[in-house]
Amino acid sequence: MIKLTNEQLDALAKDLDAIRDEALADLGERDAKYIRKILRLHRTLEVGGRVMMPFGFIPPVFVAAVASLGLAKILENMEIGHNVMHGQYDWMNDPALNSQTYEWDTVCTSDSWRRTHNYEHHTYTNIIGKDRDYGYAVLRLSDDQKWHPAHSLQFINYILLTVFFQWGVGLHELETEKLRSREIRLRDKLPLIKEFFQKGGRQAFKDYVFFPLLTLPVAPIVLLGNAGANLIRNLWASTVIFCGHFTEQAETFTEEECEGESKGHWYLRQISGSSNFTGGLWVHILSGHLSHQIEHHVFPDIPAHRYREMAPKVQAICEKYGITYNTGSFGRQYMTVLRKIAHYSLPDRVRLKLQAA
Amino acid sequence: MLSSNPIKKSLNWLGRQLFNQENPAAFFDPLVTPINPLWIRGFTPAQVQDIITETADTKTFVLKPSNRWSGFEAGQHVNLSVDIDGVRYTRTFSLSSTPARWAEDGTITLTIKRLPGGLVTNWMHDNLKAGTVLGLSKAFGDFLVPTSVEPLLFIAGGSGITPILSLLETLEKDHYRAPVALLYFVRTQADVIGAERLYALRQRWPAFNLQVVHSQEDSKPVYLGEQHLDTIPGIKARLCYLCGPKGLMDLASDLLGKYGISDDRIRVTFFSAPAPVFTGESGGLVTFSRSGKEVEADDGKALLELAETAKLNPKYGCRMGICHQCKCTKTSGTVVNSLTGKVSSPGEEQIQLCISVPQGPVTIEL
Ligand code: FES
Repeated sequence: MIKLTNEQLDALAKDLDAIRDEALADLGERDAKYIRKILRLHRTLEVGGRVMMPFGFIPPVFVAAVASLGLAKILENMEIGHNVMHGQYDWMNDPALNSQTYEWDTVCTSDSWRRTHNYEHHTYTNIIGKDRDYGYAVLRLSDDQKWHPAHSLQFINYILLTVFFQWGVGLHELETEKLRSREIRLRDKLPLIKEFFQKGGRQAFKDYVFFPLLTLPVAPIVLLGNAGANLIRNLWASTVIFCGHFTEQAETFTEEECEGESKGHWYLRQISGSSNFTGGLWVHILSGHLSHQIEHHVFPDIPAHRYREMAPKVQAICEKYGITYNTGSFGRQYMTVLRKIAHYSLPDRVRLKLQAA
Repeated sequence: MLSSNPIKKSLNWLGRQLFNQENPAAFFDPLVTPINPLWIRGFTPAQVQDIITETADTKTFVLKPSNRWSGFEAGQHVNLSVDIDGVRYTRTFSLSSTPARWAEDGTITLTIKRLPGGLVTNWMHDNLKAGTVLGLSKAFGDFLVPTSVEPLLFIAGGSGITPILSLLETLEKDHYRAPVALLYFVRTQADVIGAERLYALRQRWPAFNLQVVHSQEDSKPVYLGEQHLDTIPGIKARLCYLCGPKGLMDLASDLLGKYGISDDRIRVTFFSAPAPVFTGESGGLVTFSRSGKEVEADDGKALLELAETAKLNPKYGCRMGICHQCKCTKTSGTVVNSLTGKVSSPGEEQIQLCISVPQGPVTIEL
């Protein structure tokens, strides 16, 4: 991370706060219209997908149904659920968009997500040992973490994590690594496990029991289609998230660096630890605007569709202070993620040689 | 209806599993809203049918609530929710029409005066159009018709007449036998709200004694006094109803007390939300309504800390305004956002405890 003086950090905080205040002062009808339009689109896609699915014995209908339901789940998780739970729309006072009561269409309970993501991840972003989202405790992505022979197979872990992403996220707060090291006891996690089974059961019930049984003669098709929709969402969501923090140039931090940090330092860390990717309007919308991960980490509770217009201002500020603004095409950013996972699966000696070559 | 309840319950359970919503029917709201907003399930919708100008600063809004609305009794209030520039505001208003009218044609009326500086009332006056759909709460309030027949005295001031219009018409329709008097204080004749209805009542209801007092017509303002109360025959035996500005209500309670009328014979209701208390300095009494605890605000301390000094354990995460874990409902009072310096509105809204500093008395649902 680039070193800035305390004065520079304070000035940085002031500059970013100004962008934030400007957006806050402008919140209104436009944002309400936008999110309601997305809600309408989500409901249309979900209802459409569910209705088409039983007719999936006709191959093109199957494709349309899976795509429709998959897109619905993506929209709901990324542009609606994630953003609503950040409090981006709380100012509307609409109980349907309340950050503390919203429950999303995925295995992870919203309560668990609000603790692990909104609080832990967004407060301690990329601090090794404190941000458990960094590598999700199954991937080694930095040499701050010691290499272990098991890491050589981490690419398999990665594949499993991305395929079953919603279940992984659902169990994330279980902190299995701390259970194994006996730092915490299973007993402490019982309420979480109960909630996990409740919510996970609910999600599995609807996609793998209820809707297939409802149209019994074609149950296998519906089952397959629903699994396909969940898979599409898992792959896309995990890829977007990985591109946000695990790219080549997204930095990590140590606890010491961040002790008692100022607001400016927090801002600097949010920018240096995040990475954007470019793309068309629909790439942004379907990523829940996490394509603007940098803006999201700097302004987590500003309606995400505004990140697009805030980005040039943030980028200009980064230039002013000489902070790297990490962005690139989706494909390029993703390649660097894969490379990182592969590299850090190797012992440091081998990795360094390889990287030098 | 016996069998429908378990069915309803299990459908609701199923809906919750399928749509992850406490109120599963609301899942379809985004789809039905453009088709027919009266099908909305997330709140009880009511459509504006007509808007009638009463006086220069008062209008009557005729609403048609959806069939789900559970009705009301004369003298009750409702909370009305309106979306203004993307933000939903909820305010309490008295119903000025009668339950009989609602039973007949399904409409209700709210008679609303512009409050100087009031965001919601002014917006309603300037922007609300027939066809708009608003949110309506269940009716509430105990400013109701008496359970037994006895002589009554109503004292109203300004737009405080609204629940009384509903009460009077209901009493007349029920052929209320005992004498009923109304002392109605308005600034000038032009400020009389519901004039036609009141004069029509006087015409067809011999038991009704109407006195309209113009308080600002002369150079010297007229206040409620013995010269008014002495004109009410048998005032000591009357059950009294007061609704109007705070000054008038205080004066009336005092005077009625002097006539030997005990407090339990005086019914009082506030016709509008109390004016926002914004002192401009931090501090004030913080009430945590759910736990019933109170603390005196410490200069500049945020509500999260104050709640903790009151031995409450509100949820929190970052304690610096990022994570929104500490979100709570503020039911009344003004707070200042310590990050932006922005002053909140006085009504009900969601706030982050860790960055909200109370300014004057505040009530938090905690
Ligand atoms: S505790 Fe995180 S926003 Fe208040």
